[in-house]
Amino acid sequence: MNAAEVTKLMSELKVAVKPRHRRLKNPGGSEGRLINLSKTVTALLKYERIEVHYSRGDEARGYAERLISDAIRYGDQHKPTMEMADFWLRDKSVIHKLFKVLCPRFENYKGSATRMFMAPRSYNLDNKDVLKKYKLLSVLELNGNPYPPVLPDRSQKNRRLIHNVLLNEARKEFYLQKQKSESDKDVNEEIVTKHPVENINETETK
Amino acid sequence: MIRVLQRQINRKQNVLVRYLSAQPESEAKESNVEQKILKKKSSFISPEYRFQYQEFLPDPQHRLRNSVREALERKDMLSRRTQIYIPEFYVGSIVAATSSDPHSQGKTNRFLGICIDRERCGLKANFILRNVIDHQGIEIKFEMYDPTLQKIEVIKLEKRLDEKLYYLRDALPEYSTFDLNMEPELIPEGSQVPVNPLKVQLKPRPWLERWERQELKGVEDINQHLYDKHRRLAAMRATPWEKYDLMKEYRKSIPEEEQKKIFSEIFSRMKQINDEHKKNMKAKRSITKPKTLA
Repeated sequence: MNAAEVTKLMSELKVAVKPRHRRLKNPGGSEGRLINLSKTVTALLKYERIEVHYSRGDEARGYAERLISDAIRYGDQHKPTMEMADFWLRDKSVIHKLFKVLCPRFENYKGSATRMFMAPRSYNLDNKDVLKKYKLLSVLELNGNPYPPVLPDRSQKNRRLIHNVLLNEARKEFYLQKQKSESDKDVNEEIVTKHPVENINETETK
Repeated sequence: MIRVLQRQINRKQNVLVRYLSAQPESEAKESNVEQKILKKKSSFISPEYRFQYQEFLPDPQHRLRNSVREALERKDMLSRRTQIYIPEFYVGSIVAATSSDPHSQGKTNRFLGICIDRERCGLKANFILRNVIDHQGIEIKFEMYDPTLQKIEVIKLEKRLDEKLYYLRDALPEYSTFDLNMEPELIPEGSQVPVNPLKVQLKPRPWLERWERQELKGVEDINQHLYDKHRRLAAMRATPWEKYDLMKEYRKSIPEEEQKKIFSEIFSRMKQINDEHKKNMKAKRSITKPKTLA
């Protein structure tokens, strides 16, 4: 406990790891927790993007990253790694995918293998079941997945989009017209408030 | 001559790094040079370093981590190691430790025993030696960086089948008795540390711990001491899924990148210390008493 365990070498995870594990309410105890998390990890590696409760997703993320880093380090000929993959991946076709597809993908990757987003929380008043659990959902995905990105592409400036260009021009026109109409109004007011006779006398004397 | 050249090269590399760091444009170049230096250093670090110098690695518990304190501790550990040579030994090696004792004749006290455990890290690193003297089992815990500890001699360098040997307390006394004046056994340099496959016989119950619940490889035929009740309860308490818990083992360990960083820091000093020790040992051996009188 007080000294570091050094029998097994492992790579540093490029993901923030909380100091303590989450117990994740389940009737199976610590074994049940691992079995439930293995289902999440299998789904993540199989479908490459899953929507899951935040705490479960965060826990599964650590295990997925560790599994991928071990698979990259030791390869599929290493017996303990194969046993680990056998436990964590319920679907045996995903074991093949891990070593043949995901390992070459993440071998020279600079960042983490997974990415997590916060999903919108829907509070559906019609559905009584949903009312009971106001879920803190998150989207957990593998980097390099074939789907369109979760977040919109912010690399291009909004101002260049045609509707924004037209809107900006319309806004400028509106303000110009408003200024013009206001200045006309002021001139008319000036002429109307002052006495017409006094004006003529003033001009004549000068 | 070659050593002087190496030092000059190192100095030049350091100057190069400093020069580059003054120019903001070549920041990328500087990091490349630094990386190359680190890679060179880490390539000298053998994979055995993490076993030999395990106490240099910090406690992986997050709430106890403090990089400044760890760096200062490592510095202190190295400076203590220049005063006393702390050899490489493992749990299962037979070690003799000499500590200062103000009340004994000669002011020193030498204790020899088998190392049953090595605990803790940093300056708190300690080891327990066990021996049976006058039919009384004795264990003494020595702190490796204790200034009153004068000498550590490895009498027999070997490993056992288990990482902790607390079961020797419930084993037959012959497995814990070692002659206090044992002669040191030398192993050829560079060879692997031998693993002693000795299996120990335990005394009949009662025991100090439930040895059947710990997966002990160094105990011979533990079943002869067990009833069905013990087997049933041990099976109930067993946690075979723990070996699959990847995050638990991650939180208990230090990742490889950090290990390399730490060992690259201490590498050059440790090499210096080891070389000096070898020189001293050679010098001692070369002194021989004359056999014939003048």
